[in-house]
Amino acid sequence: MTTLIEAPPTDGEGLLPTKKKSTGGGLGRYILIRFFLIFPTILILVTMVFFLMRTTGDPITAALGGRLPPEQLQERITAAGYDRPIFVQYFEYLAQLITGNFGTTLSDNRPVSEMLATYGAATLELTINALLVALAVGIPLGLVAAHRRDKGPDAALRVFAILCYATPVFFSGLLFKLTFAVWLGWLPVAGRAKPGTELALTALEAPTGIYWLDAIRSGNTAALADVMAHAVLPALALGLLTAGIFLRLVRTNVIGTLGKDYVEAGRSRGVSEFRLVTKHAYKPALIPIITVMGLQIAVLLGGAVLTETTFEWKGLGFQLATYLTARDFVAVQGIVVLLAVIVAVTNFFVDIVAALIDPRVRY
Amino acid sequence: MAMNKKALQSAIALAGVSAFALTACTGPSGGGGTSTGSAAGTGTITYGTTDKVVTLDPAGSYDAGSFMVMNQIYPFLLNSKPGTADSTPDIAESASFTSPTEYTVKLKPGLKFANGHALTSSDVKFSIDRVVKIADDNGPASLLGNLDSVAVKDDSTVVFTLKAGNDQVFPGVLAANAGPIIDEEVFPADKLLTDDEIVKGRPFAGPYTIESYKKNELVGLKVNPDYQGLLGKPANGGATIKYYADSNNLKLDVQQGNIDVAGRSLTATDAADLEKDSKVKVYKGPGGELRYIVFNFDTMPFGAKAADADPAKALAVRQAMANVVDRDAIASQVYKGTYLPAYSVVPDGFVGAIQPLKEMYGDGSGKPSLDKAKKAFADAGVTAPVTIKLQYNPDHYGKSSGDEYAMIKEQLEKSGLFKVDLQSTEWVTYSKDRTSDAYPVYQLGWFPDYSDADNYLTPFFVPGNFLKNHYENPTVTDLISKQLTTVDKTEREKVLGEAQTAVAKDLSTLPLLQGAQLMVAGKDVKGVEKTLDASFKTRLGVISK
Repeated sequence: MTTLIEAPPTDGEGLLPTKKKSTGGGLGRYILIRFFLIFPTILILVTMVFFLMRTTGDPITAALGGRLPPEQLQERITAAGYDRPIFVQYFEYLAQLITGNFGTTLSDNRPVSEMLATYGAATLELTINALLVALAVGIPLGLVAAHRRDKGPDAALRVFAILCYATPVFFSGLLFKLTFAVWLGWLPVAGRAKPGTELALTALEAPTGIYWLDAIRSGNTAALADVMAHAVLPALALGLLTAGIFLRLVRTNVIGTLGKDYVEAGRSRGVSEFRLVTKHAYKPALIPIITVMGLQIAVLLGGAVLTETTFEWKGLGFQLATYLTARDFVAVQGIVVLLAVIVAVTNFFVDIVAALIDPRVRY
Repeated sequence: MAMNKKALQSAIALAGVSAFALTACTGPSGGGGTSTGSAAGTGTITYGTTDKVVTLDPAGSYDAGSFMVMNQIYPFLLNSKPGTADSTPDIAESASFTSPTEYTVKLKPGLKFANGHALTSSDVKFSIDRVVKIADDNGPASLLGNLDSVAVKDDSTVVFTLKAGNDQVFPGVLAANAGPIIDEEVFPADKLLTDDEIVKGRPFAGPYTIESYKKNELVGLKVNPDYQGLLGKPANGGATIKYYADSNNLKLDVQQGNIDVAGRSLTATDAADLEKDSKVKVYKGPGGELRYIVFNFDTMPFGAKAADADPAKALAVRQAMANVVDRDAIASQVYKGTYLPAYSVVPDGFVGAIQPLKEMYGDGSGKPSLDKAKKAFADAGVTAPVTIKLQYNPDHYGKSSGDEYAMIKEQLEKSGLFKVDLQSTEWVTYSKDRTSDAYPVYQLGWFPDYSDADNYLTPFFVPGNFLKNHYENPTVTDLISKQLTTVDKTEREKVLGEAQTAVAKDLSTLPLLQGAQLMVAGKDVKGVEKTLDASFKTRLGVISK
């Protein structure tokens, strides 16, 4: 949460306070520190995942225990090297990760890295869509709530915000599915696109795997409409989870900003309340949103598991659930590590953006 | 700094606009299974399923999901014409026994794979030898147990030498999971190939080729113009297979017209619900799955090792159960018609299948008969009620097993002749217990390995069978051996009928239900019924719209 303490500007250019000039050297040092902090963060995450996964035993026993005779099971465990000391396995695993080798899935015998590349795009698409929904819903409604502070609409929006982030995503997802897909028949039930659309998009040269992007690239408007139709319900279910947080954050910050001296100065000069909110007060209120957005990536990725399963959106979350059911230890480990890396890297970029916007975050 | 802020504002504004666009520019999905984009208007059909592909490598899979795709893309020496389960030459010009232990196949001329490589007898030998050599845990090598060797006579002739002579099942094996013919220039001889490598190598010579492949998500099939086999040119312009994780989504998508055909596996409730929907049509066909009750001849009431052992009384108990059980009620009430009553140990639809239990037990038309059950008890001097310890499994044969066996218990007890102690055990323990005489009377099920009546006889009723229920009848054993090596088809069918009748008299097992194949299609879809036969092969080529 940031509060601006500078005096209001007197240059007549605007109402926002003038920021302290940065020398620029601090930013470079800050970026470097944040960058090198990524590695221990990822190492800690990878280490936790590795040892937590092994609290139940080795991957072969987890996947095939009870389905193979003990001697055959032992043969496979030995062949895969899971009977060696755990720290030997750990350092070997780290060495493999450094070279980008995540291993091979136990259940469908495919390279984990290939599986991650295949399904990562779908999860990225869902996360982007959900984030857009969260921003589109959270920011305007937050401004409305702040503008109509302590009145009926504000109270209603606060309740709405609580409902948004208190409702489990699988519940809201099923509710949306039942209402808009089954009863009303307005939107598709599940999946990322119709089979024909998917075939058309995957047949493109060097597809990104993000369907709406591929549809735009190919100029296929029918495919774009289909992809959008399929994206609405999953994006709403997941996006509303974060929209509630954004709404309350924007409301709180705008209300805080509306009490500042430079805003009061604006009022005294006859600037309308609406203009004050939409033109001046919301800008500083958005800074914490950037920081929170980074934290919300982790929430969205976590929510993606449930959303993807509910809507058969075949991304990393859907695969994670599938591999968990198949007790495919190696695949689960690979997905969890990738998600951890994404969160760490996203937070790095969010820190950089926050530092660019507000120099005071650079310590 | 100002630049950064402006950029950020623009990004946020764009995000807001995009998100609103995202939620506003969408209309009804409608539109049926017709594709958007490049596939539109080509007459392609879309098939949805919850089955999964284990691998497209024939040496590494022995499951319905993988075999369904293989049936579209690989050629077979022998296959079944839609509507039948008989194995007849597919890419073979001829296939027959040239001596009791030699099965000779001559290929059609000019066969080739989609990658341009010629398909010769060398590929045939390679394909079959490879299944045996790799012997993957999940592969079909066990089907080739009677194969001694494969020899290439010339480019178009291959000779299979068998260990046991006149194996009438062998042609069926060549049409089953062990039979797809693959390209020796694409597949390694001693290890499995990944699906992506297979798709890249294009070793396809079946009715279709794979043009697009996302494992267990979406498979795009294109008509193969070079296919010269039994199934002929597909009636559609191509096919798409869409995979579902949840059968609810499969059901809803076929209802909304997003796919043309829904195949395996819809639940009984889904099927019943869809039958009321005017937009779709439910098709049913004979199924290969058999659900039955096993009697342990040592431990059942009056069994060989019981204190009051009496073979005649034990038989009377089995006969009374056969007279009392109401299969129709179980099929309609528990399974909503997704299973059909079974009146033989060989499911209806197989060549040589008859229905001896229909006439021998109950009212003669498949319905139960309490009078006949009472008479069986009276004739053998059995005093009612007899206590039956009946075991079933709740996790391996579907979640409706509990309802199925609760109904059986109710039917048996309602007769006044039985008192049923119904118990269930999870599958791992169940599998061990049933073969160690722990269960006097218990549930079991069977899916066929190949489309032949023998697959329902040899594993069950010869000495040392997999049921381990201590049943042995030399007459039955002889009949089973005889049908296996009888060359004349008519004669073999007669012997198969005799074997089924003999088993029905002994009642080593009590057949209850056979799984009906079920498909649901849009009203504009044609040809679905053609693929619902006793070969249990889904042939997308017969479906059109």
